[in-house]
Amino acid sequence: MWKKIRKFIIPLSICLILMLTAVVGCAEEEPAPAPAPAPAPEPAAPIKDSIVIGASRPLTGAQAPIGDAALGPMMQLWEQKVNADGGIYVEEYGKKLPIEFLIYDDATDVGTMVRLTEKLILEDKVDILFSSCGTSFISAQAPIANKYGMVLITAEGGAVTMRDSLPGLPYTFVSLSFSDHYELPVFADMCAAEGAKTAYIISIADLHGVEYGGVGNMEFARVGIEVIANKSVPITYTDFSLLVKEAKAANPDVFCVFAYPPIVLPVTGEMMALGFNPPAVIMGPGANFGFYGVSFGGDPAVVEGVSCFATANKDTSPAFAEHFTALEELVGWPNSDWWGTPLYAPIMDIWVEAIEATGTLDQDVIRDYIATHHFDTILGDTWFEMFGDGGGLMAKETHTGEIGQWQNGTMEIVGGGDWPATVLTSDWIYPKPDWPTP
Amino acid sequence: MPESIVTILDVAIGGLLLGSIYALIAMGLSLQYGVARVLNIAHGEFIMIGAFCTLTLYTVVGINPLVCLAIVGPVIFVIGFLIQRTLFTKLRTSAPNQAAYEGSSMLATFGFMFIIQNIALIAWGADYQAYTYLNFGVNIGGAIFSANKLVILGFSIGIGVGFYTFLARTRMGKGIRSAAQDATTASLMGVNINHVLALCFGFGAAMAGMAGVLYSMRITLNPFMGLQYTVIAIIIIVLGGLGSIPGAFLGGLILGLIGEIVTKIDPSLSLAAHYFMFLPLILVRPKGIFGK
Repeated sequence: MWKKIRKFIIPLSICLILMLTAVVGCAEEEPAPAPAPAPAPEPAAPIKDSIVIGASRPLTGAQAPIGDAALGPMMQLWEQKVNADGGIYVEEYGKKLPIEFLIYDDATDVGTMVRLTEKLILEDKVDILFSSCGTSFISAQAPIANKYGMVLITAEGGAVTMRDSLPGLPYTFVSLSFSDHYELPVFADMCAAEGAKTAYIISIADLHGVEYGGVGNMEFARVGIEVIANKSVPITYTDFSLLVKEAKAANPDVFCVFAYPPIVLPVTGEMMALGFNPPAVIMGPGANFGFYGVSFGGDPAVVEGVSCFATANKDTSPAFAEHFTALEELVGWPNSDWWGTPLYAPIMDIWVEAIEATGTLDQDVIRDYIATHHFDTILGDTWFEMFGDGGGLMAKETHTGEIGQWQNGTMEIVGGGDWPATVLTSDWIYPKPDWPTP
Repeated sequence: MPESIVTILDVAIGGLLLGSIYALIAMGLSLQYGVARVLNIAHGEFIMIGAFCTLTLYTVVGINPLVCLAIVGPVIFVIGFLIQRTLFTKLRTSAPNQAAYEGSSMLATFGFMFIIQNIALIAWGADYQAYTYLNFGVNIGGAIFSANKLVILGFSIGIGVGFYTFLARTRMGKGIRSAAQDATTASLMGVNINHVLALCFGFGAAMAGMAGVLYSMRITLNPFMGLQYTVIAIIIIVLGGLGSIPGAFLGGLILGLIGEIVTKIDPSLSLAAHYFMFLPLILVRPKGIFGK
């Protein structure tokens, strides 16, 4: 009996329920008003507490003194300044994010720098990549940044060869001025205007020296100055008596030393000892740092008249007065750098504006923004000259100066390009005054 | 004086200056490697320390750099002596054989190199530093030289000759020479070998330090400048013969002179010349000029 019930009654009941449901459903009833759609919940902003900036820097090794006086202190200043403002507003995270630096020591080794750069990108997954130090280093770092689609605004370094590779490096932006961009063209014009007829060049046997020696040849020839010698010296060379004596015997109007501080300083000392005082002397990198001035007895007046590559000083603008004062307080006047730091100073402004304007840390978006916009920085109107779809070079028209000269114990900006941004703080002294009597 | 003679004088004195500094550095390393059997990769760091101490003593305290020789030399000697007496003696006595000792001691000096560099980095910072002393010209027969160059030349040769005389004429020097020939036999003959090896390491470090004191008058200093001098010293001790003090002295002078002659012809070749002169020497006399 129970089996029969189960066999017929239960299926029958289910069928009845279904039929009733269908009839009720087909009845012409006013449809019940649909409930107002609940507001779609806003997608939760991804959680992020800070913007991590990674850098492989020469904290030790041969480039440490350069890094220590150039981008290194700038990074400390930026961290203080940006975080004092609460950080950078990133729309996709809906808040201001403080910045924090993750810096590794590459010990001035290109191979180590390459490995550390890949580690920063792949393992540490930094949000922003900052520049390594030195032309050969950034030349090796740029293709890596490009490979992983990380924007790289370079700092210490720049070269004709680097510029030539920029069309294939869309994520790379070069900030520093260099030989024909636009230093030596300006210097050659200055020398020619003073009637200089001959030049003598000593250059270090590396990428920097070869480039500046070569561009020097071309630029002096362009303005009718004869280059009577162009001597290359190894990077480990230490005794410069013979070279300076030969240069003195050649009696040039212009004496150029395109080398680093370990060569620039002893050559200057030898020139003082041997009484070699040509009308124009240009040295660098080296003479553009404060330590150059105090290395010959402590009084920078000793190097009166020595020229170098320089962009700005405290008199260039109130913003630069603030910039150099802050650097002096942080690292001391002897570590002042009047060539590089004025051109590195806009880097953080550019990053902040690009991130806040695009509202993202997406590197492709930021890259396109930097490539297509002008920025209001310490230099004034600042932009990158782009190489097609490739990378960019900070436009020479943004440079406030190209050539500096030691005058009365300070660095004056005495030469620049023929464009509105140029601010000369003094006239160039030609001929250079005699070295002081020992 | 005819110009050609002036040129020869220029090259000769320039070469001797460079060579005498090289000689001091190499004599120190020759003592350390030739006698104490420690290939001291940190040798150049003692030059750097000597140079920085002089910079500080001269620019801050006002002590004459030549007086610094008498301060820095003994201090670095004591440091070197203690390093050998503690660390390397332990390594030597616990090593199963000579080759194992040389390997482990060389690795230890690598560590020292980084330690010393970083101590200097903390003490003096990473920046380039320099000072001037006796930086004026002196006319010798028409050729003009920096006064500090001539002073360095005189002191370097004086220290080198003085040390050679010490080795040749004194009982302690005889002990060092005997240890250089055969340390085991020397110890059997009553030479306190641990003491002698420590003396060698200490004297080697002191000579590097004094070279740093002298050369600091003419170079730019930074905490990472030492390694290039270690490399030069290794070239010279191979050139002069391992363990030979006269060989290191002569090798240094030869290297300096050749470097200056090549500079006169083409300065870009001066570094290459240092290595190029190795080739015929290794082929003709692999043990070096005074090697046995």
